[in-house]
Amino acid sequence: MKAKISERQLNKYSKNMDNNISAKDRIIAWPRMGRIDIPLKALLLSLGAKIVIPPVNSNEALELGVKNSIEGICLPYKLNLANYIMALEQGANTLMMFQAPGSCRLGNYTKMAQKTLKKMGYEFDMVIFDMYQSKMKQTLQAFWHVTHCVNPYRYYKGFSLGFNKFFAIDEAQKLLFYTRPREINKGEAEKCYNKWLNIIDNTNSVLGAKCLIKKIRKDFANIEINKNKNVPIVYLLGEFFVLLDPYVNQDIEKTLGELGIEVQRQIWFSDWLEGVLKPSFLNKKESHRQRCVRHAKKYMKRAIGGECIETVGDAVYAAKNGVDGVIHILPFSCMPEIVSQNILNKVSKEEDIPILTLVLDEQTGKAGNITRIEAFADLVKRKKFKKNSEKKKQKEELANV
Amino acid sequence: MERHENLKKIIGIPRAISYYNNYPFYHGFFKSLGIEIVLSDKTTAKLINDGAKHVVSDTCLPIKVFVGHVINLLDKGCDTIFVPSIQSTGYKINNCSKIRGLPEIIRNVINKPFEMIEPTLDKTEGLGIKEFCFETAHQLGIYDEKSINSAISSGWSAYNSFVEMAKSGIPHKEAVENAINGNYTLKKLSLVKPFSVVIMAHGYNLFDERISMNILGKLDKMGIRAYTSLDITRQDGINSIHELDEIQYWANELDLTGTAAYFMLNKKIDGIIALSAFGCGPDSLMVDEIQYHANERKIPMLHLNIDEHTGEAGFVTRLEAFADMLIRKNRKKLLQQNKCRNIEIALNKQKVQEQNVMTKVK
Repeated sequence: MKAKISERQLNKYSKNMDNNISAKDRIIAWPRMGRIDIPLKALLLSLGAKIVIPPVNSNEALELGVKNSIEGICLPYKLNLANYIMALEQGANTLMMFQAPGSCRLGNYTKMAQKTLKKMGYEFDMVIFDMYQSKMKQTLQAFWHVTHCVNPYRYYKGFSLGFNKFFAIDEAQKLLFYTRPREINKGEAEKCYNKWLNIIDNTNSVLGAKCLIKKIRKDFANIEINKNKNVPIVYLLGEFFVLLDPYVNQDIEKTLGELGIEVQRQIWFSDWLEGVLKPSFLNKKESHRQRCVRHAKKYMKRAIGGECIETVGDAVYAAKNGVDGVIHILPFSCMPEIVSQNILNKVSKEEDIPILTLVLDEQTGKAGNITRIEAFADLVKRKKFKKNSEKKKQKEELANV
Repeated sequence: MERHENLKKIIGIPRAISYYNNYPFYHGFFKSLGIEIVLSDKTTAKLINDGAKHVVSDTCLPIKVFVGHVINLLDKGCDTIFVPSIQSTGYKINNCSKIRGLPEIIRNVINKPFEMIEPTLDKTEGLGIKEFCFETAHQLGIYDEKSINSAISSGWSAYNSFVEMAKSGIPHKEAVENAINGNYTLKKLSLVKPFSVVIMAHGYNLFDERISMNILGKLDKMGIRAYTSLDITRQDGINSIHELDEIQYWANELDLTGTAAYFMLNKKIDGIIALSAFGCGPDSLMVDEIQYHANERKIPMLHLNIDEHTGEAGFVTRLEAFADMLIRKNRKKLLQQNKCRNIEIALNKQKVQEQNVMTKVK
């Protein structure tokens, strides 16, 4: 039973797509988050659109974002706004963004950005696809609106290229996280990863994109690793944007990998995409979210928006599966993650798992965070060593008996 | 036998968050079910400190205050506490995550054993007020449908009389007291004050005298009439938000954007004061939204940020400065009107003189 949306409210949401520029003249841009520029580029290029990719997030971009946004808003918005401005400066005239109402401040991002940019004197079209209802339809509609492409083969090609590239990037990243702490020649995994990102970016055929994952696996298997090395595992949990964007999280995966710790992230863009776009009757396996809800039950009875329940559920899951530690990262003043930070204190005590929380904002110094991460790494390693030696002792005792 | 048990039951309601807007309803509801209510003490510095000790430092002030009130109730010996989770008040009109997860926070933050009554109000999922009340009653061990229904209607009657009294201009505290005692009086006369402002703030910030530093009383002393969210109806708020070409996104948006928009559009006010807690997510957006529209209409706006360290002296200075600014602005306006008149008179004089000169020359 769902309450009816008031007609006025509905009209407002369906009016999300501006239409001041003809489809031919459109030059499209979208905000950055991790490497989503690669698949989206493939999709839009195969639909025959012109695109602009804003430069990688940097201090300069952040400064631009901070200058033009309000004080109290969270970090992801500031970077998004900077991306828009930089793209518009480079000649873009159509901005795309998705919007998921009901989660947190994210639902207000586009509205605010539109207003701010108009005030700054830019002229552009904003195309927003809502994640309200019938998500696949909304998404298709948005891409049709932007490109006016009628050829169904191109849609097939674009979407399958895009999806396969998403999966390939995520696979490469997973392998990178696994290989980095174990590699014998330092820096080899990173090199391999960057090489494959380039190859993924340059793949233009559907068949080629489908083979990517296999090839990546083969290539990473060639890297020499120390299989017997005792590597502690740390889960990286927290807010979506901060987890995926290497600039914002100060490449925490690399820092940890170089300290000899394997990072496992539970939130992947491809997972999320599948969860959002795939119709629910096709899902037979327990999805990530369902698993989290099941594990978080002891601490939380209801979802409260954002990735709060995922964070708590994953932390409990980690403790039950012998993971050695959890690092929880969040942007400053993120509402759902503050709730999970409150809850994680108790999870840490009751499930006996070390949890480190890092709050990131534009003022965060890298050095201070690195010190904390190093201390945490030492703690995790010592704990693992202790656990292992206890196990050995027990085995020896059993053997003696 | 069962009835006797019900009569014995005591429920503790923290004097924070939803207390300020909904207490008359809760009072009517629980009293009709035969449950005694224990309220926590008024907010004090010690209470805030107690709350702040239990939660992480990034949590906003109202939540710290809420935790403090829960601890206060536990210290009083009350072991059943009412912690509602108000998720959404309309389809996809959600509350702030921290208010949605209030029972979640309380459960994990406080280590003492106690029973928590935690009903959910979630209109997105079809859990309306009726379901909310039934869940509350069921958690208290009351299953009689008839008595619950009558309790809901007595809750509404108390709430409605509270809303009407508050709208007629009776202060919040008095209106709540009247409503729970079953009195019904309307204020008929009120002094006309030279200036009027609208305060956009959540009920739990504005009507808590410790959090808001008694801003309403201070403005009253300065001779400024302050309008609050209690002065408008719900529909007024929604209509004015639509009139500004915005949509209602947050559940408590009517307290802020709706109120400010209504008074801004109807040109009754000289200024807007925004009072929000530091680090409040929804407020940061709503205040900005109103700031944008106020700038367009050239209405002065003051944004006051509060947290547990806010000192009263600085607060008063800023309020006084704002009041002075309003006075100066008004004086300027009057002067300009006068100036126009003076210039006209001067011009007329000049003309007469010139004519005189001309006649002399002739």
